Parts: sequence; structure tokens; C-alpha cells
Amino acid sequence: MSGGPLIVQSDKTLLLEIDHPDAQACRMAIAPFAELERSPEHVHTYRLTPLGLWNARAAGHDAEAVVDALIKYSRYPVPHALLVDVAETMDRYGRLQLANDPAHGLVLRALDRVVLVEVAKSKKLAGMLGNKIDDDTIAVHPSERGRLKQALLKLGWPAEDLAGYVDGEAHPIELAEAGKDGRKPWTLRSYQREAVEAFWAGGSGVVVLPCGAGKTLVGAAAMAEAKATTLILVTNTVAGRQWKRELIARTSLTEEEIGEYSGERKEIRPVTIATYQVLTSRRGGAFTHLDLFGARDWGLVVYDEVHLLPAPIFRFTADLQARRRLGLTATLVREDGREGDVFSLIGPKRYDAPWKDIEAQGWIAPAECTEVRVTLTDAERMAYATAEAEERYRMAATARTKLPVVRALVERHPGEQVLVIGAYIDQLHQLGEYLDAPIVQGSTTNKERERLFDAFRSGELRTLVISKVGNFSIDLPEAAVAIQVSGTFGSRQEEAQRLGRVLRPKADGRQAHFYTVVSRDTIDTEYAAHRQRFLAEQGYAYTIVDADDVLGPKLPTID
Amino acid sequence: MSTSLADHLRALPDESLAALLQQRPDLVVPVPADIAALAIRAQSRVSVARALDGLDQFTLQILDAARLTRDSDGTSSVDAVLGMATAGAQPPAPATVRAAVERLRSLLLLYGPDDRLHLVGGIDEISPYPAGLGRPAAELDLRTAALCADPAKLRRTLLAAPPSARAILDRLAAGPPVGSVPPGALQAPPVGAEDDLPPDQTNGGAPTGSPVRWLVDHRLLVPVTTGRSGGAGTVELPREIGLLLRRDTGPLGPLRTTPPPVSAAPREPKAVDSAGAGQTMEVVRQTESLLEQLAVEPAPVLRSGGLGVRDLRRLARAVGLDESAAALLLEASYAAGLTGELELPGAVTTRHGADQQVVPSAGYEVWRAGSLAQRWEQLARAWLTMTRQPGLVGQRDDRDRPITVLSPEAERAGAPNVRRAVLQVLADLEPATAPTPEEVLEVLDWRAPRRSRGREAAHREVLAEAATLGVTGLGALTSYGRLLLADVTSGDERGTDDPLGLRAEAEGEPSTAVRALDALLPAPVDHFLVQADLTVVVPGPADPTLAAELDVVAEHESAGGASVHRVTPASVRRALDAGYSADDLHGLFRRRSRTPVPQGLTYLVDDIARRHGGLRVGSAGAYVRSDDEALLTEVMADKRLEALALRRLAPTVLATPYQVGRMLTMLREAGYAPVPEDATGAAVLTRPKARRAPTRVSVAARTVDPLTAPKLPMPRLLGVVEQIRRGDAAARAARRAPAVVRGQVPTGPVPVHSHTDALAVLQQAVRDKALVWVGYVDAHGATASRLVRPVSIGAGYLRAEDERTEMLHTFALHRITAAVLEE
Repeated sequence: MSGGPLIVQSDKTLLLEIDHPDAQACRMAIAPFAELERSPEHVHTYRLTPLGLWNARAAGHDAEAVVDALIKYSRYPVPHALLVDVAETMDRYGRLQLANDPAHGLVLRALDRVVLVEVAKSKKLAGMLGNKIDDDTIAVHPSERGRLKQALLKLGWPAEDLAGYVDGEAHPIELAEAGKDGRKPWTLRSYQREAVEAFWAGGSGVVVLPCGAGKTLVGAAAMAEAKATTLILVTNTVAGRQWKRELIARTSLTEEEIGEYSGERKEIRPVTIATYQVLTSRRGGAFTHLDLFGARDWGLVVYDEVHLLPAPIFRFTADLQARRRLGLTATLVREDGREGDVFSLIGPKRYDAPWKDIEAQGWIAPAECTEVRVTLTDAERMAYATAEAEERYRMAATARTKLPVVRALVERHPGEQVLVIGAYIDQLHQLGEYLDAPIVQGSTTNKERERLFDAFRSGELRTLVISKVGNFSIDLPEAAVAIQVSGTFGSRQEEAQRLGRVLRPKADGRQAHFYTVVSRDTIDTEYAAHRQRFLAEQGYAYTIVDADDVLGPKLPTID
Repeated sequence: MSTSLADHLRALPDESLAALLQQRPDLVVPVPADIAALAIRAQSRVSVARALDGLDQFTLQILDAARLTRDSDGTSSVDAVLGMATAGAQPPAPATVRAAVERLRSLLLLYGPDDRLHLVGGIDEISPYPAGLGRPAAELDLRTAALCADPAKLRRTLLAAPPSARAILDRLAAGPPVGSVPPGALQAPPVGAEDDLPPDQTNGGAPTGSPVRWLVDHRLLVPVTTGRSGGAGTVELPREIGLLLRRDTGPLGPLRTTPPPVSAAPREPKAVDSAGAGQTMEVVRQTESLLEQLAVEPAPVLRSGGLGVRDLRRLARAVGLDESAAALLLEASYAAGLTGELELPGAVTTRHGADQQVVPSAGYEVWRAGSLAQRWEQLARAWLTMTRQPGLVGQRDDRDRPITVLSPEAERAGAPNVRRAVLQVLADLEPATAPTPEEVLEVLDWRAPRRSRGREAAHREVLAEAATLGVTGLGALTSYGRLLLADVTSGDERGTDDPLGLRAEAEGEPSTAVRALDALLPAPVDHFLVQADLTVVVPGPADPTLAAELDVVAEHESAGGASVHRVTPASVRRALDAGYSADDLHGLFRRRSRTPVPQGLTYLVDDIARRHGGLRVGSAGAYVRSDDEALLTEVMADKRLEALALRRLAPTVLATPYQVGRMLTMLREAGYAPVPEDATGAAVLTRPKARRAPTRVSVAARTVDPLTAPKLPMPRLLGVVEQIRRGDAAARAARRAPAVVRGQVPTGPVPVHSHTDALAVLQQAVRDKALVWVGYVDAHGATASRLVRPVSIGAGYLRAEDERTEMLHTFALHRITAAVLEE
């Protein structure tokens, strides 16, 4: 028995005990082929999936290396059947190749004729394959490249894509690490560099980094690598402007080279930033802005917050397989369970880092998560008890009892920037009045938003109440405290994104605080537990406190 | 020849004879009456075939040499055998040939002095073509014999053969020497149609017609059964031509004195053991969850035996195995006595026996308490020795019905021997050598060609099953697997050698295999790690008490080397229901956890515990309620109502286990004025109700007058008359029963009516459909006779029709004393 840090489970999960001296080496060894599933404080869980193993094959790791790593670090004997399964799974990769044939264009070529015959017969590939060129080669229409790869993946015979990527229209882009316009010099952080390298080596894929860890810079570095015209897809206009600001500051790009394609403006420039919303808007049942994808010969397409990618974009993306695609996200959990589609259409996960690791390196602020439990008044309990099932969460989440608790929390952190986040507009208005703070909601104009955010950034405004619009892509570096009063039911990624609002490292290295106020003994508590799961799996341990402890010194109890 | 074999046997010393019987134990079952009987039996086809089955390829080839070198009086000599065996390109050492001859002698397949070796009879019947060579030309065809007698011409003819014909010759020369030809191949094409012949595919040249026809025309092949008018025929290659073609390899074909070598280099023994040990943990865990699944939802036994395909699929899916592995584990655990049949609760016993289902047996409990290694050994040992072939499950039998798991169709008496033979091949290699399945099959084919031919699929299955069970790891036999195999094999030998079991191992002592495996397996762990996401990780195999505790307080999430559990509200509730208190749970986590217990978990337990039991549920027969609390207090205090066992649930509610009626009566007797209410709370009014019998109809309403006589219609009367007449005739007939049948002592000469005669009479009567008097002894020993028309005889019973009563009777044949045809 080697006494290694790794335990191999029969359901193909790998448990890594991180307090073990060899844990770091083991992590390096298994990261290429195993996917990090959970990283709580003591034991991290990785999973061996066919997709992960095939990606490892694509990146040049062979089955023997995988088996060796498992055996070397495993604490207990590894079941023989699992090793055989790993070898067999990896062996399926690359029996088919997608390649550019000088005479016939894109073709599917077989190194194993039997496999080609098998997949050619499959109904799932009907219509994707063209003429048979010879026994080992079948022509493929270039527009079917993405769908074919996806279908082959589902059949369990992933094709090795040798057809490469189009370079796109060249455009010079450099990182301005020396500092620009009198700004301080800076360098790409180590994990950002690794992420870009992993992405570039793979050609296409998704990079997962915690909120506040500088995903924009990963995008910028990827653009500098591609040196080509780039299309950037973002969630909303404000986020698009942030991208623009950042790109101007950190790269050689100038204001004139970056276009905004949104509801307000329709500019197409070498680097164009478009919102998901405008792309998916329809007139008369047709998507009117699809031409954007063909407007220029894009060399790179960047998808920001890829976990929010709307379904129609998936379909457009299937046609973009010859272009390099980069997906950026903090939380690749989709409540609709379509993570698989993200991987197959944009590309596999190329880089992932546990949040706590980045925190330990000081790139995101350490955060303390606290769940404050509020006891409802008897009247509220009664109202809750008799409410209709669909009204219950709203009743519990918007209980008035939460208001004084929120104020007490705000008062706990004098001199710090506080965000109060909620989902119900009525509740936010109550809070706004109660705390005497402005509100940013869906109906707030972009101009007003910018104004309020600027005031908040500058410290003029200490407390801001925001609705769901603030879930993503707002860059408020100095926010150190977030108080969540209600959310979209049990959404795990929402919770993580909200925590992300306070994770930008603070100038003085202060700790960030994240409070979630829940009503005790109601469905609110249950949803809260579900929401916290992603963060708990990332190692954020929630402390639970009573609202009474927040409100004041404990009252002497009378028995 | 038989007499000379008997003479030979008679002349043997006792020890040699005993040694022979030890090698061919089937000769003494049953013990032959004398030497002559032994000699006959030793030449019987079955016994000789059995002796041949155990021989390796080389020895069989030497036997073939002895057969081929027989002279006219049917004897051979060691020198002749040697001469033939060493004629090839790579001659074996004479000593090995002699050793093979000695082995054949010791088996009594050859006997006699060196210069006059006799062959035991029966061999020619079993394999008609020695060394794959055909019969001598003289026995086949005179003209071919003439050709063979002229070596120069024969050689010329052979050289003239077109390549396609030569290919056929070479194939037949390698053996077997007969081949079938398609219909019409031997007939000449119609004149003028030669050009229509298909091109010669083997040559790629001009059409030459059927190469077989060419060969037959040139007397190189002899048609044995000519394809009559378009039927398929058979051709044979004469021995002389076969020998000529084998010039390069020698007359016996390629000779190999040792088994084919295995090219695989030995692996790291530790890696092999480790992979195997990992698999043993896995297989024990899978078996356990399979049987647990069976306990939760037992699988019904089909009428035809075995478990249904759907049940197997369900079990396999529940455990996450493929069906063949699940079938293997089910078979092995059944063989190990871990499961058994149980009658369905409330099953109706039918003609096929009661409906049964397969559930874990009592032995399963014992098994579960054992250590990992012990549990594995029990399974693996059962697998090694069970006479079942799980690989057949899922295939179809002769009648094209699927073979189901645990069904009688998967029974194969030879299965343990097949397994042992395959594993022995691995065991005989260097430790940790992993040959390919093909190499193993080749070795098996050399070791006992007659036995392994046609069993390739079974051999491959054994290799796959051994890997599944962890007997092998990375394709090589593990150290503990080797020990287990040696133990099982020696156990068998001990059984024969030690009839009184004097050398039996001490009971309860773990075998060497268990100890070896134990050293490889991780030690049980008695602690866990609790994390903020409420997962509990046991970093190793959990010790049984810890596993039992976790089963109650957490949901199982993943198993393997370690186990992962998750604490959920439901699991905490379950623990509280099972009698844990919140403090017990806190204590449990504190005691077992190596890491600080996260606050979230503490809160979860407290939260659930606080609400646990917030609602109470019970059953009551009736209740009393009143808005007047004082009145209820009075009722509670009333001594006369003590028998009602009233309980105060709330200030305004009392409950009793007794029914409403009794409560009402007692309360009224005690002077209260209760009003019963129904489920909705409305008062139920009661009025006394008189008891009445069901409605009846008045006599006057009857339509039929009882005084008038019943009217009989004519057809019915005629029927009555016929019945009477037939009864009369029968009664008279009964009086006419022959004396023999009546069992009375007849006067005059006694006719010999033995039981067999009676049977003959009855059989004739069945054919003729004639009436027969049957005398028989009834169940009380009395003799009786009856005039019947036999219908059938079978299975010891006579079925016959009694004309008088129009009934079908069944007579036990042994009770019939006599039978006489009615005149």
C-alpha cells in the first residue's frame, strides 16, 4: 500500500485528501484527465468522465500515463476493471478524424474502418455525412462540423479534429503590460497565463475562474495571442462597456477599434462587443442580427458568462466550429443542466482552479460567509402557514422582519461599501426606504446605472440596493459587504455570482463579508441550503448566526 | 486380440495393475468380475476415449505413429515408432519419444514387448485418421494405388497440379484428410461449355474448372461418397500422397514436445496483486449490494427454473454492473450458499410446486460479518468448484429459448475442470506473467487437444470471469489466487487420499489465500472527515460498526476504496426516528470525525431535532370532546369509567382505545348524556331499530300445485328404460365373469394365466377395443372383477372404460391378477 493521497472510487470519482503531503503533486498529475467536481476543505472530488479522458487524449496524454498516475497516487489497490475501462475509453478517441482533404474539403477519415461503418449507419448522423470518397473517407459539409462532432461524441466515437481553425482577419493586438497612458505596469497573473496557454493549445474551450479573478484579462490575453478580429458576446450593455474600458486600458487597442453592438448602437469594428440580448432579439419570428457572425472574418469569438448562454446562441455556435471559441465563466453550473452542450459546442473545459487556491494566492479577497436566521413573528408565521404553495417562498423571503436585521448588518460595517441584493422589487423598495439607499433595478436606465455605480466606486455612495440585474458582470471593486435578502429560488450559480461581487481584492487586503438573511423554519432555509451547495463545495463554510445576535447583545434569558 | 490383452493383464504384477487402475479409475466402476471383463472394458470405446482425453498433443502423435507403423499382424515396435517420429525436420529427442511410449503403456493404450507393441482396440473407432492421414491407397482405389506404386509418376503428377489444386492438397495433407465438395463439382462441364467456367480465383489465371475435379481425374483424390445427382460428396487423400506431401514436416506433422511458449514478459508482481486486490474489494462490495437489492425486492423463480431476464437486468442496473457480471456474481453467491429460494408469502402450491423467490439466505448474514478477504475467498472458492457456466446466461439453448441465470440449462458438470485447467496454465507460468487469451488457448490445446477443442468460448469466459472476480489481476494470476487454486486442487486430492479426513485443517483457521489477501487489503477505518458541504468521507473501508452508524445517519453517495456519505435533513430525521437523540448525533460526529465538525452540520441536527416530534400521531377507538372543561374533568375522575382508560389529549378532548358504542353505553350508564358525532362533526341521531328477517313470499303466490303428480315427457321415460336395461345386462354379465377372473379356485385343469399373460391380453384388447374381464385386488386386499374396455396402458396403469357405469377407471397393473377376453 503506497499511502498516497488519492482514493479511487468505483463510481469513477477520485477523492483527493488535500492535507496529504503529496496532494499538490497528485493534483498536477490528475488534473489533465479528471474533472474537479467539488473542492471543500478536506477532501476534493474529481471525476473520471469519458469526455475528460478524451480531452486528455487530445492534449497528448495516453492511457498508460493516466493509469500510472492513478496507481502511483492511489492509497488503496485500484480495481482492475476500472483501469481496463479507462484504457478502453481512451482507446475510442481518434479512431475517426476530421481533416481537410486537399481535393474534397472537410472529410471524416477512419483509422479503423469498422468504426466508420458503424457510425455511418447510425441514424443520429443521418444527413450530416456526404458522399463516400473511399472505404475510409466520407465527405462532410463544413457547416455540419459542430453537429457532427457533437453527435459522434454522443455515439462514443469522438473524432479528432485536425481540420484546424481559420485564422480570421488579422488585426494587431498586444497586451499593454508596460502600462498605457501613464498607468502602472502590470503583468498577467500566473493562473491567467496558464489558462490562456491551456486554451490556446486546445484551440477552443472554456476557462473557469472565480468571480473577481480577472476573466476579462484572460480574454484580452487570448486576443493578443490570436491577433485577429474578435467578437465578444456579453450579457448586457453595462458589462460590454466594462469590457471596453478594460480592453482600452490593458491592450494596445484604442477606442476607435472597439465597436459596441447593442440595443443602442450598432457598430461593427475589428473588435466588436455584442450582447446576448440583441443577438437573440427577433422581429417577425426571425433573428435579425445573425449577420453579425458573418459580418467580418472573426478570428476569435469570446463568450462571457458562458453559463448564461441562451439556447438560440447554442444553435448559431454550432455553425462556428472553424473559428476559435473561448468561453469564460465562474460557475459552470446551469440549472437547466446543459453544461454538456457548452462543452461540446464551445469546447471542453480547458482550465479550472479551486476558488480557495486563488484566494490563498491573494488574487481574490478572502470572504466570510454567514447565514443569518431570522425568526418570523407569529403573524408572519401564520400568514406563511396558510399561503399557497407558489407564494410561500416570496412570503418567507420578503418577511418584514428581515429589514431591521439588514440595517443592523449594514451598521456592523461602518465605512465599508455595502451591496444589498434581492430578487423582489417590492422588498427592494422597502429596503431602499428603510436604509435610505438608491436602488438599481431592471427599469433603471443605463445612464442612471452608470452614474450610481460610479458614485459607489468612488465611495460617494456607501450602500446600494440592487436587483437581479446586479448578479453579473458589474465591476464594483470596493464592495466589501454583500447582503442577500432573497434570490431566484435555489439557484446555485446566482449565489456564487453574488459572492463574486465582493471578491475583487481590496486595496488594503480587507476581508469580504457575505451575508444571506433567511427566515427560519420556512422554505427559505431549504432554498438557502441548496444555493450554498456550490460554494460549500468550493470550500466556503457558512457560519450560521441568529438574527438576535446581530440585532444586539443577547437578552438575559429568564427561566 | 482381446484374449492376448487379458493375458497381458494377467501377467502384470499387482502393483502395476493397481497403478493402471489408478490412472484409469473408470475401469473399476463397477468392479469387473474378472480379468477378462477388465480387458473388455479397457478396450471399450468410452473408456479408451476417456484415457485419450487426458493426453497431450505430443503423446497423441506418438500414439498415431504406433498406429501408422503397424505391420500386417497389427503390431508395431518402439524402433518403428522412433523411426517415424524422428523422420521430420526437427526430430524430438528419442528419450522423450520413449517416455511418451511408456506413458501410453502405463495407460494400457499400448502393451506388449518393445518389438511387438500391441494397440488396444477401440482407438481406430475413436479417431479414424491417425495423424490426420487418410487410408492407404490400396483400400481406397486400385488405380490410385497403382499411381502410388510408381513414385516417379506420382511426383510428376503432383508437380503438374495447378496452384489451386495444390492448395487443396496441402490443406488435406495437414489433416483431416477428407473434405466435402459442393454438389456437381466432380462432374465434367458440358462439352463446349468449358469457356463458361468461372475464372480460377486462386490462380487468377484462366479457368481450369473445378480444381477438385482435376485432382480426382488425376487420381490424387479419391471420391469416397460420390455426390449422387447433384448432392454434396466427400473426397479423401490417400495416405501415401499425404506422406509425400509431408516431406518437410515429417510424417506426423509438426511435433512439439513441450507446450507452446508464452511470449509475455512477467509484470511487476506487486502491480498484479494490487490490481487483483482492488478488484476483490470491488467484487465483494458489488456482491453485497446485489444481494441487498435482492433482499429489498426478491426475484421470483421462473417455472422453468432460474430468474427472469428482466429481474437480472433490474439487479444489474441497480448495482451498476453489466448483465454478464451480475449473472456471474449471482451464480457464484448462490453456489456459495449466500442466497436461497423461499416460498412466496401466501403462495398457492400448484402442480409445479409453490411459487418461489430467490432471497439472501441465513448464510449471507454470516458472510457479511466476515473480513473482506474471507468473504472474497468464499465467493471465489464457490466459483472455482461450481458446476455452472455463467457465461451461458443470455445465450439460447437448443430449443432457442434464452438461458436464464440460476436455471438448470446453465449446469455443466465439466465446468470446474475447465476452470482449473485454464487457471493451471496461468499457475504454471512464472508468477505475474500475463499471457494473451490466445496464448492460453494454444497451451490448453497442446495439453489436452481432445478435451479443449470446441471449448474455446468456455475458456475465454473463464479468463474473463477470473478477471472480474479478482483471481487474476492485469491478466496474470495473483499470489493469493495461486494459493487458492493450490488449496482447492490439493483439497480434491486429499479427499481421495485421506478418506478419514485425518489431515483436515483446523476449523475456522483462515486459509493461506485469505491471509495473503488480507495483507494486500487496506485495514478498516473507524473515523471519517466531515466537510462544510455536509459530506462525510470515510477514507478507507469502514469498520462494520461505523458503517452501521453511517447507514442510519447519512445517505450513501459513492463507494469504492473509501465511502462518501451525505448528511441530509431526511437522513437526520431517520436517525432520530431510529432512536438517536440530537446529543447522540453530536457525540457521534465529534467522536468519529478527524476534522472539526462544521457549524452547518450542528445547526442541521439541532434544527431537525427541534422539529422532530412536533406532531404526534396515534390511534384511538373513540374520543369525547366538550367545550366544558369541568365536565371533562368530572368524566376523567369518575371511578365507574375507569375501565374506559380515558386519556386527556387536550383540555377539551379525551380519548379511549375502545369503540364508540361501548363508550356511549358506559357514559349513559354513568348518567351522562353524550351525543355521538360522525367524521365531519355532525351529531348522529339514533333511534331504536327492530330486528327483522329478510322478506319472504307468501305460499299463496306459488304457481305450482304440490298435489299434482309430476309430468314425465316421453323422451325422458325412454331414457329411463334404456338405463334400466343396460343395468340389467351389466348385472347379468357380472354373473358371467370367468372363474379365473373372479379369483375362485377353478375346477378341473388350472389354466396358466400369469400376470404377463394378462398384460398381453390387455394390450391386444386395447388394439382391438375389445371388452375384457379384469380381475384385480383392490386396496383392501379383496379380489374383484369388472368388465371393461381398455383404453390405454402406460406408466404402470391400465385405463379402461366401464360400459356399465360409463366411467373411466384406472387400475394399477400390479394389482391385476387376470384378464380374459369376453366371449
